[in-house]
Amino acid sequence: MSAAIVGLGITEMGKVYGKTATQFAVEAITLAAQDAGIALSEIDGLLVNPGVKNDTDLRLQSVLRMQNTRLLATIQGFGSSAGQMVQQAAMAIDAGMADVVVCVYADAPLTEGKRSSDAYPGQARAMVGVSSLAPAAGLRAAPERYALAARRHMDAYGTTSEQLGAVAVAARQWAVMNPHAQMREPITLEDHQASRVIADPLRLLDCCLVSNGAVAVIVTSAERAATLQQPPVHVWGWGQSHPGYTNHRDSDFGLVTGAKRSGADALRMAGVGVSDVDVREIYDCFTYTTLVTLEDYGFCEKGEGGALVESGALAPGGSLPTNTGGGELSGYYMWGMTPLSEAVIQARGQGGERQVDKHDVVLVSGNGGVLDFHSTLVLSPHRKG
Amino acid sequence: MALASVVRDDFSAPFFDAAARGILLLRHSPSSGEWSEPSAVLCAVTQADDLEWREAAGTGAIVSWTVKPGRSRDGETAPDVVLALVETTEGPWLSLWLPDADQARLAVGAPVRIDFVQPNAESEHLPVASLV
Repeated sequence: MSAAIVGLGITEMGKVYGKTATQFAVEAITLAAQDAGIALSEIDGLLVNPGVKNDTDLRLQSVLRMQNTRLLATIQGFGSSAGQMVQQAAMAIDAGMADVVVCVYADAPLTEGKRSSDAYPGQARAMVGVSSLAPAAGLRAAPERYALAARRHMDAYGTTSEQLGAVAVAARQWAVMNPHAQMREPITLEDHQASRVIADPLRLLDCCLVSNGAVAVIVTSAERAATLQQPPVHVWGWGQSHPGYTNHRDSDFGLVTGAKRSGADALRMAGVGVSDVDVREIYDCFTYTTLVTLEDYGFCEKGEGGALVESGALAPGGSLPTNTGGGELSGYYMWGMTPLSEAVIQARGQGGERQVDKHDVVLVSGNGGVLDFHSTLVLSPHRKG
Repeated sequence: MALASVVRDDFSAPFFDAAARGILLLRHSPSSGEWSEPSAVLCAVTQADDLEWREAAGTGAIVSWTVKPGRSRDGETAPDVVLALVETTEGPWLSLWLPDADQARLAVGAPVRIDFVQPNAESEHLPVASLV
């Protein structure tokens, strides 16, 4: 395998109104092509991941006037989609199926004058049959479902709300230095503890943002990458793991996630160990997700994630720089494209004042559903030896 | 009332008939002897396709829980909503509302009883849990 990410396009993020997801997608793809120094006409593969509103798809091809398409699909792995798209692009390139593949996520769930929570249509659905019992009981949105997972972790391992708060504070410290980030005012642990409870034990500052916008990356062969204008970001390894929690006695829900298997597979494929990872870009829909993912990747023992994040390791200057753009908590919420976009920036060495000095190996996670779907990428500025 | 209305379909008719009589049905696999949650189409343990409705004890214990604070609107504050993942005595997990739960008594492993409430005349009877 020898594919590389050669282009990155990030639109304006957050409360940006008046554009559809498709329009955001075209803008991100155009920016990514310009970034790579590749003409739109050279793109012969398109993978599209629609977000919360699910209102763009593979028909984006005709909007882009693409007439040379050899790989085309809508990909839906929720938060694991970005990693999945890069994996499929790399395999298609390696197989000779396509030469230049663009992967895009686009979403426009926010409407001017409406609350972020109105972006999610969950409560309006008709309730029919036994599969509706959980939503009918009130278990409808992501915060209460992740709250159940977080509570279980707290009970099993003694994880505390203050430790979750440390994740939020570290993410914000990074976001302060990221011009793309939506939330750039510093916060303290006291701010976290004073923020309102959304679904106990999760507070407002444990929850990610909701954003309008799009991110696109362009993948091509390592050979072609060497001739282009940006430093190539080589794809060294990947994995997926979708644990299929059984809703039954002995389920690991909340305790162990797909990151365990997905991460081990990706690191093995990359030929590196967890101690070789310089930068971590972790899917952080909630603070708890960062903590449990770091455990499952092996950055600490199971159950010691709380102590790890509390130590300051994740923050600027810490021993394990993590979510260096502020993540989805403080940066922007573009599903798996949030960690992937920052990983590309860091691997290239283009992080400005937030750039991590040593960035030879960058680990990227994607998490979807309620810990149901997981993907991992291992990226590097160096060609795999 | 935190519960939303639910209507039956063919699959769920036996479940809701029993619920109206205060009885919890789960799915049971004769070949494996294992139980699965009400929406299961394959056995949670063996993937067997021989699931049938069977009466459960209607008891369980809390696996995890969350509290959604009641929102204030027009000067009135709605009550907090307590939701729990409950492991039934037979093994399957149910996500249930705990009306009137004493939040100080919420704990992983706390035993619960499963009862049924009809949120309105248009809805089927729905399972809820209470601390015992």
